[in-house]
Amino acid sequence: MISLEVGSFAHDGAAPALTDVSLSVQPGEHVVVTGASGSGKTTLVRLLAGLTGLDAGATLLGSITLGDQRLRFDGSPQDPRIDAARWSAQVAYVAQGAWGQLSMMSSTVGEEVAFGLANRGVPGAQLRSRVEEVAAVLGLTPLLHRDPRRLSGGQLQRTLIAAAVVQRPRVLVLDEPFQGLDDDAVREVAAALEVLRGEGTGVVVSAPLLPLDAPRSARVLALAGGRPVFDGPLVDARSAGLGRYGIGTVGEPPGAAAVEDPTSAGTGAGPVLVELRNVSFSYPDERGARPVSGLRGVDLEVRPGEIVALRGPNGSGKSTLLQHLDGLLRAGGGSVTVDGTLIGRQPTGSFAGTVGYLFQDTDQQLFERTVLREVAYGPRVTGARRAEAERRAAAALAEVGLRAVGEVHPYELGFVQRRLVALASLIATGPRLWVLDEPTAGLDAPARGTMAALLAAHARAGGAVVLATHDAAFAEVVAHRSLWLDDGRIVREGR
Amino acid sequence: MPRRRIYNPVTELLTAALLVVLVLVVNRWEFSLAVLVLGVLPAVLLSGRARRIGLALALVTGPLLISSLLLHGLFFPEGERILLDLGIARVSVEGLVFAAVLGVRTSVFAGVLLTTAMTLDIAELLATMTHRGWNRKLVFVVGSSVGLIPHVALRGQQITRAQQARGLVVGRGPVSRLRGLLAVTTPLVIGLLVDASERNHMLESRGFSAAVARTSYLPDSDTAGQRVFRRLLLLGVGLSCAVWLIVSVPR
Repeated sequence: MISLEVGSFAHDGAAPALTDVSLSVQPGEHVVVTGASGSGKTTLVRLLAGLTGLDAGATLLGSITLGDQRLRFDGSPQDPRIDAARWSAQVAYVAQGAWGQLSMMSSTVGEEVAFGLANRGVPGAQLRSRVEEVAAVLGLTPLLHRDPRRLSGGQLQRTLIAAAVVQRPRVLVLDEPFQGLDDDAVREVAAALEVLRGEGTGVVVSAPLLPLDAPRSARVLALAGGRPVFDGPLVDARSAGLGRYGIGTVGEPPGAAAVEDPTSAGTGAGPVLVELRNVSFSYPDERGARPVSGLRGVDLEVRPGEIVALRGPNGSGKSTLLQHLDGLLRAGGGSVTVDGTLIGRQPTGSFAGTVGYLFQDTDQQLFERTVLREVAYGPRVTGARRAEAERRAAAALAEVGLRAVGEVHPYELGFVQRRLVALASLIATGPRLWVLDEPTAGLDAPARGTMAALLAAHARAGGAVVLATHDAAFAEVVAHRSLWLDDGRIVREGR
Repeated sequence: MPRRRIYNPVTELLTAALLVVLVLVVNRWEFSLAVLVLGVLPAVLLSGRARRIGLALALVTGPLLISSLLLHGLFFPEGERILLDLGIARVSVEGLVFAAVLGVRTSVFAGVLLTTAMTLDIAELLATMTHRGWNRKLVFVVGSSVGLIPHVALRGQQITRAQQARGLVVGRGPVSRLRGLLAVTTPLVIGLLVDASERNHMLESRGFSAAVARTSYLPDSDTAGQRVFRRLLLLGVGLSCAVWLIVSVPR
C-alpha cells in the first residue's frame, strides 16, 4: 500500500538521519517504529507522511511508493514535491504536540473532526454523517459537543486521530501518540487504533519503548543511529536483545544496574523534611457551583533519604498533593511544613531553594532561549551570580547527560532531551526536596535509567523525592514506599 | 444563564456596528442617552452576563470618563459660564456639558461593542460567514484569534507557575507585576510560534488551501428574513445618516 526505500536522508547539510531503511505497510497492518531518542523514528514517520523537507534543504536518496504511484528522489533540485493536501487524503498523520494539531477555530469536537472535510467542500449533511460515523468508531460520540481545548489527554489524542481519519485514508501515521498519556488513556487510544486497523487501515506508530497495548500481529521496525537494527514480529522483538540499542519495553523496570536497592538506603534518618497534617483542599468552581474536592484529610511525612511514590488513578489527587509541597496550591485546611517552614502566605518562588518541581507537561516549564540559560534560570533568580549560575547549570546538564546542548534552543531538542533539561533545571537550583510529576512519561529506556539513577543518588546524598507516577515498574524499583490515593485520600501504603 | 438567541450573530454584529455609526453621525447627547438607556442598558441586563459585562464596562469606560471629566470640566477653553474659578483651572458649564456628551457617547460605544463581543456565539458566527461564502482565510483569522484567547491565557498562566516554581517571586506591587508579565511574554510568544508552525502543516494537510467553496459542520441558522432585515437595516441607517448630515450642516 505504501512503501519507503531510503538510501539516505539528511537534513540541511547535517549527517544522515536515516541510512538504508526500508518499510512497507499493508492494509490492516500495525507497524511500530521504535528506537531511543535521536534514532530517526520521527524522521521516518514524517517521510511516510510526505514531509520530505526538500524545500528546507533536506536531501533524500530513495523512493516512496503510494499505491501505484512511485516517487523517486535522487537528491537533485528536480526531485518531486509532495502536495500535502493530496497526500494526506491517503496517508493521515498525527504529529507530536497535540496543541499544534488543533485548528483553534472549532468550538466543538464535531467541528474539529469536520475541519478537513469542510475545507474540501463536502456538503453539510454528508459531512455530519461522516463525522458521526468516525466518532462512533473511535468512541467520541458523547464528546462531539465538547470544547476540544478542554479534553483530557486521551480524549484529545482520539479527537486528533478522528480528524485525521475522517478523510478515510489508507494509512494512519502517528508520531508518539502515547507520549505523556496515563495507562487508561493509552488503552483508550490503542483500542481506537485497533478498530481502525480492523477496518483495513494500515497503522504506523512511532514509540520510544516496545508497547504492551499493540496487537499480537504487530510488526516492529527498530532503529538505532538512523539504521534498522530489527524488522520482524513484535513477539520476536521483545526477545531480540534490543536493550543494547536503548530500546526497552513498556512496564519493564528501569536500567536496574544503575539503581541501588532502596531498602538498603538509610531511610527515615534525620528530622522530617516534609510534613502534611490533615490537609484538605478544594478547587474553586468557576461558575459558582459546588467546589471540586482535591484532597481530604491527607497526612504525610517524608524524611531525608526517602523516595516516596504517589500512585492512583487520574483525578485521585496526586498532582494536587504535589503542588502543595512548593506552595503552587495552598491547603484549605490543615498544615504543610517543608524543611521546618510552615507554608502560609509566602510567595511560591520563595520555596524554590528548598523544593524543586518537575511539571507533568514539559513544554510548560521551558521558557528560555538556550538550554544553558534555561537551566541557569533557577540559580539566577534564587540569588546566584551569573557565572556561578552558569557553572551550576553546566554541572546539572552534565549530570543528566546533556553536556553538549548548552547553546541549543530547548525547542530544537527531542522530547526526551527536553524532559531531561527540565530535570537539570530543577537540579541546578539545588533543592533538598524533589517533587516530580510523572517523571518517566514518554522517556526512552536510557533516560528512564538515568532518571532512576539520579533519584537514587539524590536520596543517598540526603535529599528526598516525592513523585506521582503511573509507571508501576519504576515506582517498585526506585521508591522506598508507595502511597495510593483515591478521591483525594491516601487509601493504602506499601511498596 | 446565557440568554436565548433570537438573532443570528451576523445580524447582532451588524446591528451593533450600525448603532455605533449612528451615534457617531447623530452628534446629539439626547440621542446618545436614548440609545444608552433604551438600547444598551436593556441589552446588558438581558444578556445573562450582566455582572461580567458591567465589570468590563467599568474597567474600560471608568478611566476614560474620569479623565474626560477632569480635562474638559476643568480646562474647557471655550467655557463662558464659570461655576468655580481655581486659578489655572476653571469649572465651566460648557466644559461639564461637553464632558457629559463625550462620556455618554463613550459609554454607548463601549456598551454596544462589549455586550456584542461578550455574548456573541462565535461558532455560529463562523458557520454563518462560511454559509454566506465569505473568504475562508478571513473566517479563519476571526475564528482562530478568538479561539486562541483562552489558550494564550492558559499558557501564560502555566509559564508563570513554572517560573514561580523555579524561584521567581512576583510581589503585589505594580513594578513586580510588570516584571512578571515581561518574563512571560517571550516564552509565550515563542511557544505560540512553535504551535503555529505545526499548525501550518496541519492546515495544509487538512486541505485548507483547497480552491472549492468551504462548507460548515454547523447547519445554517441564518434565515431569509434576517438577510432581508440586514439589508433594510443597512439601507435605513445609510439613508438616515445621509439625511441627518444634509439637514444638520449649517448653511
